[in-house]
Amino acid sequence: MTTRRTSLQAYLLSAPALVIVALLFLFPSIYNVILSLQEISPFQGPGDGEWTGLGNFEYVFGNPEFWSIARNTVFWLTALTVLLRIVFGLALAVALHSPVLRRWKVRGLARTLVLIPWMVPQVVAIASWRWLLDGSSGVLNQVLVGSGLTDSGVAFLAQTSTVWWSIVAIIVWRELPFVVMVLLAGLQSIPDEQYEAASLDGAGGIRAFRSITLPNLRPVLTVVVLVTVIQTFNNFVYVWLTTGGGPGTYTAVLATELYSMAFFANKLGAGAAIGLVMTMIMAVFAVLYMRATRTEDQ
Amino acid sequence: MSTVTQQEGAPAPSRLRARRRDSSARRASDLVLLVPLAVVLLAIIFPVLWMVYSALRPVQDIAAGVSWSTLLDNISLDAFARLFEATNFEQYIVNSLLVCLVGTLCTVIVASLAGFALSRYSFRGRGAMFLLLVATQLLPFVVLITPVYLFFSQLGLLNSYPGIVLVYVAMTLPLAVLLMSGFFNGVPRTLDEAARMDGASTLTVIARVIAPLVWPGIVTVSVTAFIAMWEEFLFAQVFLTDDSLKTAQVGLAGLFGEYGTDWGVVMAASTIAAAPTIILFSFLQRRLVAGVAAGAIKG
Repeated sequence: MTTRRTSLQAYLLSAPALVIVALLFLFPSIYNVILSLQEISPFQGPGDGEWTGLGNFEYVFGNPEFWSIARNTVFWLTALTVLLRIVFGLALAVALHSPVLRRWKVRGLARTLVLIPWMVPQVVAIASWRWLLDGSSGVLNQVLVGSGLTDSGVAFLAQTSTVWWSIVAIIVWRELPFVVMVLLAGLQSIPDEQYEAASLDGAGGIRAFRSITLPNLRPVLTVVVLVTVIQTFNNFVYVWLTTGGGPGTYTAVLATELYSMAFFANKLGAGAAIGLVMTMIMAVFAVLYMRATRTEDQ
Repeated sequence: MSTVTQQEGAPAPSRLRARRRDSSARRASDLVLLVPLAVVLLAIIFPVLWMVYSALRPVQDIAAGVSWSTLLDNISLDAFARLFEATNFEQYIVNSLLVCLVGTLCTVIVASLAGFALSRYSFRGRGAMFLLLVATQLLPFVVLITPVYLFFSQLGLLNSYPGIVLVYVAMTLPLAVLLMSGFFNGVPRTLDEAARMDGASTLTVIARVIAPLVWPGIVTVSVTAFIAMWEEFLFAQVFLTDDSLKTAQVGLAGLFGEYGTDWGVVMAASTIAAAPTIILFSFLQRRLVAGVAAGAIKG
């Protein structure tokens, strides 16, 4: 009798949370599948959609630009920025972990400074970088022209040769602190004895890094890669607010394509189809990635 | 024991000299790490310094570009004045504060109740609930925009505070529930059982006995939720199209002009839009970082 009453109480306490999660995650994800099979605009009610079978998917995949958009998303937006974040993040974390900083009493200061980009909202980070990279009066161009490296300002965000590198720089800058902080916590959990034993065996810095630091960091690196890939792949703001997908559709990614399709072309069904494709890609990635890292461990 | 420490505490003069020479050599080699690190850190904080600095320059200086000789000559609040004159930015800030404060309060209350249930009861579906909360973390948020838009348009929740608050609570809730149940697990059960013996109801136990004990945890959850809501752009942009309802981030994004941007104004707005997160972050830096790091390492 008591157990039944206590579990009723547990359900009552969880009810508000469960209703909200069901209303805004569970139900919409199922509804997204239905929408992807319908033709419907933002001005129609939810029941007014017309069934089109796989029409939306044909439409999305039939877009001659679809594959370049997918390639942008996978390579430029996600793979490259995650790789750069891991490399720079690891270097910075190792530097910040060094006893040298503690000896000079600058450890706390250095760790605070490295966090600053993370404290800045993404939209603000984009605004600041657009100003830095501004073609005429941006500080980067002032320096380039002033030092005679270029004759006139470079329109970093308007030409195809520089636009992706600019977006990559913004993402790496804003999202680096997360990687540094997690890797730093990972470094701190490695026992000193392992390094002492290695140095007794005559292992140098690089050898110790390869045979102690990296293997110990593997589980943390796995999680960092998984989390950053999923978050970046689905990110809409960086591309949308720097270039709007331009010049032309040169920097368009799946998330911006979803948004323009649904709310500019008024094809909510096609937008839902892109969303479903994105979910599938991430699900497949997550499964393959976790399987790959697990078999490596065995 | 004491003789040993005494011996170590007073080394022979020759050894002392050797150690000094050793440490100065070490200090010189330290610079090999410290100098590049300082350069990298300066480069990392430069965009933020430049943002604040640009916001504090008068309009003619911004247009004229960088002049290194007069870098610190003219500092003014002119750009902020222009921002508030030309736009409804004060309204956007009020909107953001309102939405984020109400949203944070709702998240913390709802998450506390559910977190308590997960921490204190074993009930059917408890495992499924955990799984659901973790799964929502992996679901791309951008995918929800289309179905939720249609759903909200039907319910009349577009262009309304309750609508966006609901989205923001949902966005921050799963992690908040998981964190709160973890904090509650740290409080011994005997405490709430004792309070129950004295006839306290479940809600009284949560509010009067448990909440004061996990206060630091509640602050952490509130700050993380507030920051996430304050920063959010996509849903605010799509769901709040009335100018009087826009949030600070949406207002800021709207300042990128189609015919030339007034960068002083944009940087003034950026500084304001970044201020709450920077302030909250600085107060709780250590705890927030520890929380994020622990989450990633355990996960």
